[in-house]
Amino acid sequence: MSTKPKVSVYKLSSCAGCQLEFLNLEPVLLDLVGAIEFSYFPMARRRYEPGPYDIGFVEGAVTCGEEIERLKKARQECRVLVALGSCACYGGLPSIKNWTPERVIVSRVYENPALVHSIKAYGIDEYVQVDAYLKGCPVNKDELVEFIKGTLLGIRPRLRPHSVCVECKLNEYECISVIKREPCMGPVTTAGCGALCPSRGKACDGCRGPANDANAESLARTFSEYGLHRSDIVRRFRKFAGLTQEFSRGADAV
Amino acid sequence: MAVTKSSPVPDMVVLSGELWQGFLELVTGQYRVIGPVRRGSEHVFAPIKNPREIDMAYVTTILPPKKVFHQPFQVLFSFDTEEGTLAEAQSGEEKVVWGIHPCDMHAIAILDKVYGVEYPDPYYLRNRENTIIVAKNCTEVGENCFCLSMGTGPALRSGCDLLLTDLGGRYLVEVGTEKGRKLLSGLELVPAPRVVLVEKEKRLSQARQKFKKRMVTQGIQELLEENFRHPIWEELMRECLACGSCTMVCPTCFCYNVVDKIDLDLKTGRRQREWDSCMLLEYAQVALGQNFRRDRDARIKQRMYHKLLYYEPQFGTLGCVGCGRCIGACVKRIDITDVVSRLAESVESDR
Ligand code: SF4
Ligand code: SF4
Ligand code: SF4
Ligand code: SF4
Ligand code: SF4
Repeated sequence: MSTKPKVSVYKLSSCAGCQLEFLNLEPVLLDLVGAIEFSYFPMARRRYEPGPYDIGFVEGAVTCGEEIERLKKARQECRVLVALGSCACYGGLPSIKNWTPERVIVSRVYENPALVHSIKAYGIDEYVQVDAYLKGCPVNKDELVEFIKGTLLGIRPRLRPHSVCVECKLNEYECISVIKREPCMGPVTTAGCGALCPSRGKACDGCRGPANDANAESLARTFSEYGLHRSDIVRRFRKFAGLTQEFSRGADAV
Repeated sequence: MAVTKSSPVPDMVVLSGELWQGFLELVTGQYRVIGPVRRGSEHVFAPIKNPREIDMAYVTTILPPKKVFHQPFQVLFSFDTEEGTLAEAQSGEEKVVWGIHPCDMHAIAILDKVYGVEYPDPYYLRNRENTIIVAKNCTEVGENCFCLSMGTGPALRSGCDLLLTDLGGRYLVEVGTEKGRKLLSGLELVPAPRVVLVEKEKRLSQARQKFKKRMVTQGIQELLEENFRHPIWEELMRECLACGSCTMVCPTCFCYNVVDKIDLDLKTGRRQREWDSCMLLEYAQVALGQNFRRDRDARIKQRMYHKLLYYEPQFGTLGCVGCGRCIGACVKRIDITDVVSRLAESVESDR
């Protein structure tokens, strides 16, 4: 038996893109595997070892009763429970359905709605206590590694709490908002992605959820000045983290 | 081009055409040069490989040339906890920063006081010492520039190694230091007649006519001290996004955070510092979660009061050099000159 910290990776309602980031860590994956043991990681390993685990990563939003049960079991068997990605943090993309009646949504997608027992999509902290949040759609690899290192050392990992703009400026990307008057969510979105979208000339979509002092109302007013229709502003603030207090203020601002 | 090693370099020359190109090629061939280049519709200071990349007509850059001296990410030392060793970061090679405007030169002079006097900072000072500065007077003025009202431009009096002035297709090059003179050696040069200084002055006074923005500096200290509770701060609190862009781009901001970057072996790593900003919520957070500036208006005031009030007793000068970057970078168009004007107007109308 190895004495390496045991890690588990769970999947709820999600696209598996965040788990995939573990595998995309290829250049450091071997070092990582040297430091930790993936004891439960169905997407990557056929063999499971039973809990308890030292760190559990939960990917995905909770969208049905069965997932609540699995989540509660995960909480019980993990010392540290981490919300992996924006779905687990805030409900993420699945949460865009929350503003339409469940019946309507289900019948839009499934042929036989009677077989589906879905509920409103929530982040995992609606049901269990969460020790850490790794934001992003998908999570950022460097942040993931930073978090694992910090946890192994027993120190607080440095996860940037402020706006995407800071990283955008540090890298000197052209400002999508000021220069192109496009509705960039960067000023109210948590950094940590290295301002990925502005680096490609695209407005930030807000995938990492609200920054620590997000002033979404004010940004919504600016979007409106840029000529964005009210319904588009609402959609921007509800895309990944519409359930959060901060972004719901943005959606309601104009 | 004829090269005469022995010819002495005069204090003042005018270069144009082939001679100017030759000068650029000489410098970029011999040194690591960092100069203004285009990035989309903005400009940045970046390493120059080919002199043609330099855009001498740039108005401003996203980050100020401060980044060469006080770097956004500066490794202080690397460590190995197993061996118990520390290795200090090595200093870089000698380089040239090309085309720094007068506002940014004044900002560097302020940083020299911040990092060079009370607590000399070896990292900053080392970057400063091994850099040759070629400054450039401004004959064009940007929409957000207000250096004229701050007394920091558009003309530079001192502080650089070489000073350029665009005379329209020809450049006046003035030698500031021996380090600067070195850059010109190897070229066959004739001293410029003193009459070019008249032409230089003409271009600069034309530039002075072009300013659209100004800061009301008269009585600014009293104005700010007396209006700490003015309703304008509440209005700004509702507007400001607390995004931090204004401080990230400011040439006189000097705040940083120190973080350890640990390798995956969990034994080795680097300690580095990174720019930080008082506009960010976590900046004034201390142990147990207490925060001295939780409210956004407190942070906006900290930024503006630091620039316009608190620098003076600290460093004997105002902390704003009128570069206008904070205005240009702000998604909400919050304008430090406008805030001061409105305060002044409201006091005036109260009388
Ligand atoms: S592009 Fe977006 S993230 Fe970058 S500085 Fe502009 S508003 Fe902020
Ligand atoms: S820039 Fe915005 S949308 Fe793009 S990855 Fe970063 S947080 Fe997500
Ligand atoms: S750039 Fe503008 S919105 Fe952002 S923190 Fe500064 S003043 Fe506020
Ligand atoms: S406060 Fe604004 S205008 Fe003044 S030096 Fe800083 S960025 Fe430039
Ligand atoms: S306190 Fe704020 S305004 Fe002053 S130097 Fe630091 S970041 Fe800039």
